Amino acid sequence: MASSVKLGRPRRSGPLISLVPMIDVMLILLVFFMVTSTYLNLDMIPAMRQQERAGGSGLASGGTVLIRLAADGVPVTQGRALSHDSLSALLTERLADDPLTQVLVLPSGAATTQALITVMDTATRAGAVRLRVIRLEAQP
Amino acid sequence: MKLDRPTRAQHSETIIALIDVVFFLLVFFMLIGRMDATAPFDVDPPFAITGRDMPAGGATLAVSRDGTLALDGTTIARTELDTALARALAQDSDLRLRVNAHRDAELRHVLPLVAIAEAAGIKDMVLVVTPASQP
Repeated sequence: MASSVKLGRPRRSGPLISLVPMIDVMLILLVFFMVTSTYLNLDMIPAMRQQERAGGSGLASGGTVLIRLAADGVPVTQGRALSHDSLSALLTERLADDPLTQVLVLPSGAATTQALITVMDTATRAGAVRLRVIRLEAQP
Repeated sequence: MKLDRPTRAQHSETIIALIDVVFFLLVFFMLIGRMDATAPFDVDPPFAITGRDMPAGGATLAVSRDGTLALDGTTIARTELDTALARALAQDSDLRLRVNAHRDAELRHVLPLVAIAEAAGIKDMVLVVTPASQP
């Protein structure tokens, strides 16, 4: 007596979890990140370094150029108001003679932050490696 | 007259491609975005040509045009700044302080912050600038 065994292939079941809610959540997250993100291209200029503080004032060697920054943002050196091009030429000349020339910037309290950054930019582009901003403090 | 009902197309492949694209976009925005507390006032950093890349991390001290301060997005009085910085330093001794000053802020509002931060024990302080192209 022959008996036949019938093997049934298990029926494929559909996906247990629907993809639609996941797509909804992902789209909501995507829109959230796209709307709330602000993309800023920012740089920085070091204002304080630990090794500088440890190394003392650094005034001992090399020449020094003192730049006063007037309230209107005009740099003044040795009593002469200079344009930024003239300042750059002066610093380039002084730094060619002595690359370790220290550049000191004494800004007026009424000058703007942009004016100070512009002078620092000019000095850095002229090749200054020793640049300091100094500030006068009132003593009682 | 016999009108044929159009056969329903299978959408499974299309949905998978959509999920892929949305996933890529989601990961892209999550990776390139940097969560940062913004100041409660407008701050336009000064332009600089010689700025360097901004490192991540640290506390941000924003200075408005009229000298108002905000530490990590919260307005703070100038007299309370040293206490707040000391508290932040207690949590992270290598705290970097980013000073994000408005380009029109007067230096009498900005420069004293260096002395305050130094007195509080901050060893790393940077000025935030907007990169400018060569003239």
